[in-house]
Amino acid sequence: MKIRSIADLDRIKEEGLGLLYPNRTKIVVGTATCGLAAGAGEVLEAFRRAAGEGGLDAVVEESGCIGFCQMEPLVTVHRPGTPKIVYHAMTPKKAEALCRELREGRLSSAGALGEIRCETALLTGEERRFAANGGGGAGAALPDFDDLPFYRKQLKIALRNCGYIDPEDIRHYIARGGYYTLRAVLAERTPDEIIDEITKSGLRGRGGGGFPTGRKWRSCRNAPGARRYVICNADEGDPGAFMDRSLLEGDPHGMLEGMIIGAFAIGSDRGYIYVRNEYPQAVKKLMRALEECRAYGLLGADIMGSGVSFDVTINRGGGAFVCGESTALMASIEGKVGEPRAKYIHTVEQGLHNLPTCLNNVETWANVPVVMHKGAAWFASIGTEGSKGTKVFSLVGDVKHSGLIEVPMGISIREVLYDIGGGIEEGHRFKAVQTGGPSGGTILVDEKGATVRTSTPSEDGAPLGFVPESLLDLPVDFDSLTEAGSMMGSGGMIVMDEKNCMVDIARYYISFLCEESCGRCLPCREGLRQMAAILDRITSGRGEHGDIELLEELGAVVMDTSLCALGGTAANPPLSTIRYFRDEYEAHIYDKKCPAGVCKALIRFVIDPAACTGCGACRAACPVGAVKEGAALPAPVEGDPAAPRKARLLHEIEQAACIKCGACADACKFNAVRKE
Amino acid sequence: MADKSVKLTIDGKEIEVEPDIYILEAAERLGIWIPTLCNYRGLTPFGVCRMCTVEVARGTRVRLVTSCNHPVSDGLVVRTNTERVRTARRILVELLCARHGKVGVIKRLAENVGVTKPRFGEGDEPCILCGLCVRACDEMAKANAIGFAQRGTDKIVTTPYHEESETCINCGACAKVCPTGAIYIEGAQELRHDELALGPNAAIAVPTMQAVPNVPRLDADACLHFTTGGCGICATNCPAKAIDYEMQDKEIEVKAGTVVVATGFQVFDPSVAEQYGYGRLPNVITSLEFERLSNAAGPTGGKILLRNGTPPASVAILHCIGSRDEHYHRYCSRVCCMYSLKFAHLVHEKLGARVYQLYIDMRTFGKGYEEFYDRLLKEGALFIRGKGAEVTPGVPGGAEAGKLVVKCEDTLAGVQRRIPVDMVVLSVALEARSDAREVERLFNLCRSEDGFFLEQHPKLAPVETTTDGVFLAGCCQSPKDIPDTVAQGGAAASQALSLILRGETTLSGACAEVNPDLCSGCRVCNELCPYSAISYDAEKKVSAVNESLCKACGTCVAACPSGAIKGKHFTKEQILAEIEGVLR
Repeated sequence: MKIRSIADLDRIKEEGLGLLYPNRTKIVVGTATCGLAAGAGEVLEAFRRAAGEGGLDAVVEESGCIGFCQMEPLVTVHRPGTPKIVYHAMTPKKAEALCRELREGRLSSAGALGEIRCETALLTGEERRFAANGGGGAGAALPDFDDLPFYRKQLKIALRNCGYIDPEDIRHYIARGGYYTLRAVLAERTPDEIIDEITKSGLRGRGGGGFPTGRKWRSCRNAPGARRYVICNADEGDPGAFMDRSLLEGDPHGMLEGMIIGAFAIGSDRGYIYVRNEYPQAVKKLMRALEECRAYGLLGADIMGSGVSFDVTINRGGGAFVCGESTALMASIEGKVGEPRAKYIHTVEQGLHNLPTCLNNVETWANVPVVMHKGAAWFASIGTEGSKGTKVFSLVGDVKHSGLIEVPMGISIREVLYDIGGGIEEGHRFKAVQTGGPSGGTILVDEKGATVRTSTPSEDGAPLGFVPESLLDLPVDFDSLTEAGSMMGSGGMIVMDEKNCMVDIARYYISFLCEESCGRCLPCREGLRQMAAILDRITSGRGEHGDIELLEELGAVVMDTSLCALGGTAANPPLSTIRYFRDEYEAHIYDKKCPAGVCKALIRFVIDPAACTGCGACRAACPVGAVKEGAALPAPVEGDPAAPRKARLLHEIEQAACIKCGACADACKFNAVRKE
Repeated sequence: MADKSVKLTIDGKEIEVEPDIYILEAAERLGIWIPTLCNYRGLTPFGVCRMCTVEVARGTRVRLVTSCNHPVSDGLVVRTNTERVRTARRILVELLCARHGKVGVIKRLAENVGVTKPRFGEGDEPCILCGLCVRACDEMAKANAIGFAQRGTDKIVTTPYHEESETCINCGACAKVCPTGAIYIEGAQELRHDELALGPNAAIAVPTMQAVPNVPRLDADACLHFTTGGCGICATNCPAKAIDYEMQDKEIEVKAGTVVVATGFQVFDPSVAEQYGYGRLPNVITSLEFERLSNAAGPTGGKILLRNGTPPASVAILHCIGSRDEHYHRYCSRVCCMYSLKFAHLVHEKLGARVYQLYIDMRTFGKGYEEFYDRLLKEGALFIRGKGAEVTPGVPGGAEAGKLVVKCEDTLAGVQRRIPVDMVVLSVALEARSDAREVERLFNLCRSEDGFFLEQHPKLAPVETTTDGVFLAGCCQSPKDIPDTVAQGGAAASQALSLILRGETTLSGACAEVNPDLCSGCRVCNELCPYSAISYDAEKKVSAVNESLCKACGTCVAACPSGAIKGKHFTKEQILAEIEGVLR
C-alpha cells in the first residue's frame, strides 16, 4: 500500500498505536547488538516459548537499545493499565520465572530497574500516561525509569525511538509521528526553505567535524552537476564507539526520513548508506526498512505523490577504518580501493563519481526530521551558542554506568561522568576521559583523539573532589572541546581510571592506526610506523632521552602533511598524552617504571614472603609454570606473635619465565603477590 | 570554462598562468625548485610522497598543501621555503630514509634538504610506493597489470594475487618510470637474439645513428599510444610540440632530370643453408647481428654476450656463407674478409676470447688491408684455411658439452677438424635486393646474372646505365666496401651534376620519328619501346617519340603496321643506298 495522503498516514498511525499499546500484556526484549551480546537471543526465545507453548497471553516483541547497555539484556513488560516495568540482566531462567508470575497475574519487582510511567512521542507530543504502580502489584515501589540518574539529564532527539519501537515495523515508527514531517516537507516546503531551516537551526555534522549542515547542503545544491548524491556515513570504526550502530539498529527510519528530506532539499535522486559489514544487525534492519519504505511508497518514484523520486542503496564496508573518511568512502562505493584523495576540490562539488555529493553521519540525518518538524527555533533553543541540539555518546570505560546516552550540548563532562555515568568504580581514581576515538570522529575533523586530563592523582591518594577540576567542568560542545585541545568526535567517550597507562594507551591507538592507515601517503604510513616503534621502545623499557621530543616533532609533521584526516589527526594520542601526562612518559624513559603498572616490560610480580601462606593457588594458576616452590620456613617459634602459625612452603616467581599475565595476583587470596 | 588566466604569488614572485594547472608547474615556470618523488609529467598527480609540500595562504588561513595536485587560483599566496615547510620536508625525508635510505634517489634528496644523519635509521627497501608504476601501467599502458596490495605499513606494489599477470603487455613503462630501480625487466641485460630486434628498441628513437634526417621516429607497432590508446607522454613532454600522432605515410612526387640509383643490398639469409644451424641453434648469428651486438648503442650496450647473458669464451667466424658457393652465389662479396678480421679484433679486445677464422682465401686487397690481416695474425686469431662445413650442437657430457661444434677441413694441415666454440658468426653474402626487379623495370635498367644492376660499360661507363640520366652507386651495382661505395657515389653524383649544371642535353641525330599523317593510333609502338620513349597523344590520336629518350634502336620502325615511323638517318632509302654502295 502506497502512502499518498495524510489520511493514509493517520490510518497507519492508528494501526501502529494499536501495536505499540495492545490490549494484552506486551513483553519487549532489547535485541540490539548490545542486548544480543548479553544473551538477549536466548531470553527472547524463552519469552516466545512461554507465549507460544506456555500459553501465556502476551505479545513478545523486539526493540533496539534503550541506552543502558551495561544492564542488558533489558526487558520491558507492559500490562495494560499499569506502568511499563524495565527488567535488567534478564536470563532465560528469570524469564521463565517472570512468565510464571505473569500467568499468576502478578509481577515482582525483583531485577527491575524502574517503571516507565509516562511515554511521550517527541514528534507528535502525544503523552501516554500509565496508571501509577500499585494496580499491577509489582511489590515494592519502583523508581521512575526516566528519573534514574542515568536518564535524568538525557534529552533524546536522535535516539527518540530507540528502545521504544520495533525497528522492523514501519507502523511503529509512524505511530510515533514518523514520516509526517516528510509528508509536510514534500507538500509544503521548497528545497531552499528546508536548507534555510536547517541552517537556522544551527545543526552541525555529528560525525565529529561539526561542519554546519545547512551550509554543506547549500553548497551541494548549488554545485553544477548532472546528478547529485546523498550518502549516509555509517562506517563507524572507532574502538569503543557504537552510536551509529545503535541508532540504525533501534530506529533506521529516523535516519532514512532525514535522508529523504535531505535528498529533496539538495535535489538528489540517489542515496547510499555506507555501513560496516561488521554490523549485521544494522544491515538487516536497514534492509528491512528500505523494503518497507519502497512498499509504502516512501522510496522510489513519486514519493507520497509529490513527484519527487529518490532511492537508496546499501553499501557494506569491508571493515577498513579509513573508509569512514568521506573520499575513501566514496572511492569504496565506486568500487575502487578505499583510499582517500586530496580534497582541494570539496566533495560537495566533486564527490562520488566526481559529481556533487552530500555526505552526513547517521546521527545528523536522524536529527533532520526533528529539526524540520519542531522548527529551527526549537532546536536552536537547546545547546550552546555555537553548538545546537544534542549529542549522542557511547559512554564506556572505567565508569559505573556505561551505555548509549544523548545529552544536550553544553552539559559538562562532570555531569556526564558523575551524574549519568555514576562516577568511577569504587576504590579507583579518575584519570582521564578520551573523546573522539583514535583519530576522532569519522575522520571528518581537524583535531581529534585528545585526552583531556581532568585531575592529577595525588600522591596520598586524596579523594577526587580534592583535586582541581577545571577541565572536568568543561561544557561538551564543539568549540569548547576544541579549544581545550580535545574534540567532540563522533561520540566515543572512554573513561579511564588510574589503572590505565597513558603511554600504553597512546601505543595502542598508534598501533591501531598503523593497521588501519591506507598507506597511500608517506607521512601517515611511515610516520605511524616510526611513532609505533618509539612508543614500543618506551613501553618496553628501551626508551631513550629525546624520544619524547622526537615524538612531538614527528607527530606535528605527520599531522601537518598527511593526505587525509586519518593521518592529519593520527598523532593526537601521543601528542595529547604527552601534553597532559608527560611525567608518565618520563617515568617510563628515565625511571624505567610504569606508574600504572600496565607495561609488562616495566613491571614484575613478586611474592611477599611475609604474606605468603604457601597455599599454592598461584602455582596452580600460573599458565607457564613460573611459580616455584621455594624455601620451607621452619615451624613457628613459640611466643612470637608475629610469626606464622605453622610451617610454610614459601613460593617464588621465576622472573625469566614469567609472562606477566597477573593470574597469580588474581589467584592469591592473601595479597601476597605484588606488582612492582 | 573560460580560459581566464589566474595570478598567484610564489615566494614573492607574481606569475600569471592558465587556471587548469597545479602550483608545482607554476613554480617550475618561475624556476623555483620543489622536491618531488611521485610526480611525473604526463601522469595524473598522486600527491602521496608529500615532498612537494608548500605553504599556502588564503586570507588569514595558512596551511600546508601538496603543490603537485593543488590547483592554482587567483590571489593564492604560496611559500615554498618557510621553516614549517623545511621541517616537514626534513622529517619526511628522514621517514623515507628509515625504509629506503640506501636508494640513490633518496640519498640525493636527503642531501638536498639537509638531512645528514637520519634519526630513524636507514633501510634498503627499494620500492618507495610512489605509485608511478601503477599509474604508468594504468594511464600509459592501459594494462592495469599492477596495483597496490595490502594496507598501511604492509602496502606493496604487485600483480593481482601476486601471480604472473595476464594483462601485462611487457611494455616496460613501469620500469621506465620507477625512480629507484625497484622494478626492472628480468634479463634486460641479457642478449636475446630472437627477441630483441636488431633495430631500435624504443618505440620512439632515431632509427640509426646515421639516419637522415637525424630525428626520432615513432614505431606505431611498438608505441603504447597506438597499441593501447594510452600514454602520449612524448607529446606531453615535447617542448617543440613536434609529436603528431595523426601523421600518415605519404607518397612524395619529385620532378627530377637525373636519378642516382643507390638502393643497396640485402644480406644472404643463412637459414636456407641448414647445415649452419642459423635460426635453429642458439648463438649462431649473422655478421650484421654481431655488428649490432658489439655496437655501444645496441641492445646490450656493446657487450658481446651469449643468449644466456654470459660472454663467450670462444668464437668461430665462418667466411663465405652464401658467397663463392655454387649453391647460392658464385661471386665474392668482397667485404666479408675484412669485417671478419674486424670482428676478430673486437672479440680479442673486448673479451680476450679465442677466435677462429674459417676461410677459403683471405682477400685483403685494399689499401692497408693486408697490414690489418698481419696485425690479426700477431694478435693471435686462429686462421684455418677451409670453409666451415657444418655447425652442430656439442656432444653432451664431454668437452663439447653445451658448446657449438664447427666441422671443417683444414686444407693446409690436411685434416678434418671439430672445433668446439660458444658462438658462431656467419659472414653472410651481400646479395641483390629482392625488389631489384621492380627498380629495374621502373628505370629501364638491366641486371647482370648475379642480380645486381648492370652498368653501361664496365670500364668506360661504370656509373652510367642504359637509360640516360640514371646512374648507379654502391652495392646495388655489385658488392663493394665503403671506400669503393663512396668513390662510386661521388662519381655518380658528379655525372648527375654535370647534366644538371649544363641545363641542357645534346641529343644524337639518330632517333625515330612518327609521321602523324600516317599514324593510325594503334599504340603498338608504345608497348614495344624498351626505353618508354613513345607516348600516345590522346588529343591528336597519334603516338609521338620523346627524342631525348629514344636510342634509335629501330624496334618501333620495324613494328609499325602502318609504316608511320621511320628512323632518322636510317630510312629505308638510306639503308638501301648504303647496301647498294657496298655491293658496288
